[in-house]
Amino acid sequence: MVVLRAGLCPGLTEDMIQLLRANGIRTVVDFVSSDLEDVAQKCSLSYKALVAVRRVLLAQFSAFPANGADLYEELKGSTAILPTGSPSLDQLLDSGLYTGEVTELMGAPGSGKTQVCLGIAASVSLGLKQHVLFLDSTGGFTASRLHQMLQARTEDEEEQARQVLGRLRLCFVLQLEALQRIQVVRVFNIYELLSALQELRDHLSQQVVSSMGPLKVVLLDSVSAVIYPLLGGRQSEGLALMMQLSRELKTLAREFSLAVVVTNQVTRDSSSGSLKPALGRSWSFVPSTRVLLESKEATWDKATTQRAATLAKSPRQPTGFQVELDIG
Amino acid sequence: MQREVGTLPLAPALRARLAAAGFQTAQELLDTGPCGLSKEIGISREEALEALQVVRQECHGDAARTAGGSGATRKCTALELLEEEQTQGFIITFCSALDNILGGGVQLTKITEICGAPGVGKTQLCMQLAVDVQIPECFGGVAGEAVFIDTEGSFMVDRVVDIAAACVQHCHLIAEAQQEEDLRKALETFSLENILSHIYYFRCRDYTELLAQVYLLPEFLAEHSKVRLVVIDGIAFPFRHDFEDLSLRTRLLNGLAQQLIIIANDHKSAVVLTNQMTTRIGQSQSTLVPALGESWGHAATVRLILHWDNSQRLATLYKSPSQKESTIAYHITSHGFRDVQPPAVTHSTEGPELNPRKRPRTEEEKQ
Repeated sequence: MVVLRAGLCPGLTEDMIQLLRANGIRTVVDFVSSDLEDVAQKCSLSYKALVAVRRVLLAQFSAFPANGADLYEELKGSTAILPTGSPSLDQLLDSGLYTGEVTELMGAPGSGKTQVCLGIAASVSLGLKQHVLFLDSTGGFTASRLHQMLQARTEDEEEQARQVLGRLRLCFVLQLEALQRIQVVRVFNIYELLSALQELRDHLSQQVVSSMGPLKVVLLDSVSAVIYPLLGGRQSEGLALMMQLSRELKTLAREFSLAVVVTNQVTRDSSSGSLKPALGRSWSFVPSTRVLLESKEATWDKATTQRAATLAKSPRQPTGFQVELDIG
Repeated sequence: MQREVGTLPLAPALRARLAAAGFQTAQELLDTGPCGLSKEIGISREEALEALQVVRQECHGDAARTAGGSGATRKCTALELLEEEQTQGFIITFCSALDNILGGGVQLTKITEICGAPGVGKTQLCMQLAVDVQIPECFGGVAGEAVFIDTEGSFMVDRVVDIAAACVQHCHLIAEAQQEEDLRKALETFSLENILSHIYYFRCRDYTELLAQVYLLPEFLAEHSKVRLVVIDGIAFPFRHDFEDLSLRTRLLNGLAQQLIIIANDHKSAVVLTNQMTTRIGQSQSTLVPALGESWGHAATVRLILHWDNSQRLATLYKSPSQKESTIAYHITSHGFRDVQPPAVTHSTEGPELNPRKRPRTEEEKQ
């Protein structure tokens, strides 16, 4: 629904726009769907000029059809599968996180969503040496825990090194570099989040290499914390903003080949008493893959680091598949 | 400048009109100007000017950030955050076992929630923390002030006097044992009157007052920049009775949680909330769970559940981003929150066995 404006394309002058508007043609859609001979007669404009303008507008504003074979080739070239750092989770996700898609982790409080996100950040930053963007909306990002995870991983990898002193220094340097590749942005309401995503888009499209190197993963912890205050009641603004956010995330994932991971809460279904993901049906269409994290024990007095991950929605694997995770 | 109109913080009615008129990006809005805008969508010129000001602010914020300035965004690398965390202090609780499982004490810039059955010691712990936040830095504290928001009316000043006196006594003992000059100098300002005058007390009677108080809190904290602790004693109480619309309650609570995390982050202070317990009736048994529902569980970063086991008080760390789940025993004396003596008693959850704590208490009662 773009309004016709002077300078939108060569040949579309201000006078033309005024004449068209006098006849009820305000937007691009009105223009390309009207009968141009009719318009030429009513507005006393040249038919050839109108046809030229229509051609340019169509080229600028319509979507191009692509055939399946081309799409497949393009996907094969641009999609990467990123390891999450936990072999059982990789198995659940069909060998890892796919770029170009939105993956969702959901669970009750204390089920380990932030821990899994930190694990993904550590594994991608250390193992693949790619940059990671962590959008934190709950204040749960603890750099010391991330450091702990990185330490555990570098010690595994450097077992082959001979000199003890050299190995310690190498581990330390690797950890520092890995920490520098993870950028953390704290966003506590929806507008800040949308600004941060817009900024990311500007950075990536201008290919500013300064701080944001080859970015591969965007983690958003958690999406329900910023959207919950807006949903419900008589105002529908919350739903509109949620859909705007989902569009931003999906286009970012597709255009720049990123893997987007979001975490979500679960709420209790009032009728059946079972747990279901928060944010309702509208949001359930946004992520392509959904994983439910649960604690193995039913009550909170028995402490454990074991978690169960169940696949709730996936385009590639049968759902209901369950694996065990250790977040310790 | 290619920010979509839908993502700008404008009023919903205005946004609907802009979408109907065909505006898509912020750049188009700025190009049209206030007069053109007021004509196109049928609003007054003042409203158009206001809207354009908001748009310009957002876009300038974006441009400044893209150019490399940090300004208002809270953006940094994990390495910088790690350095920040390592220099940040903790608020100790005087119970070393509890401090251990929390990773050093109550963390600044995070929301900690304390849940428990009635009488288990939540308000006692809050009062202890309000005193402990003021411990000078040379003794290992953060030397800050405290804000205490009370909704249940359980704040007893006499009790705070007892706790503060014991704390000052403790610090005096340390200073005498170590004989250092700066310790003694710090003790001159750490007196009972000082401690009491640095606890700012607010009383809120219902949820409207509580929401208003939290809304006004950033201004208060801007004036009193030394505040390092905000305690809300009884966040469940105003929201649990007489609330008909449950979805409104969820919305308000989530909005409150977001405001609190912004306060915790911007002013580098710890936010401590206390919550009540409720019973969840399952298929075969019923369990005690924290009140206010599932979605509230996500609001707090750290969750501590206090409960009874026969006559022993236990604390369980249920949710934490950096520490493992574990349970310890604690004790409340006339001096405040303390460890269970002797500290070698680790298996206090074995009820029917002879617990050294139980014997002396029954003898005292008989006396």
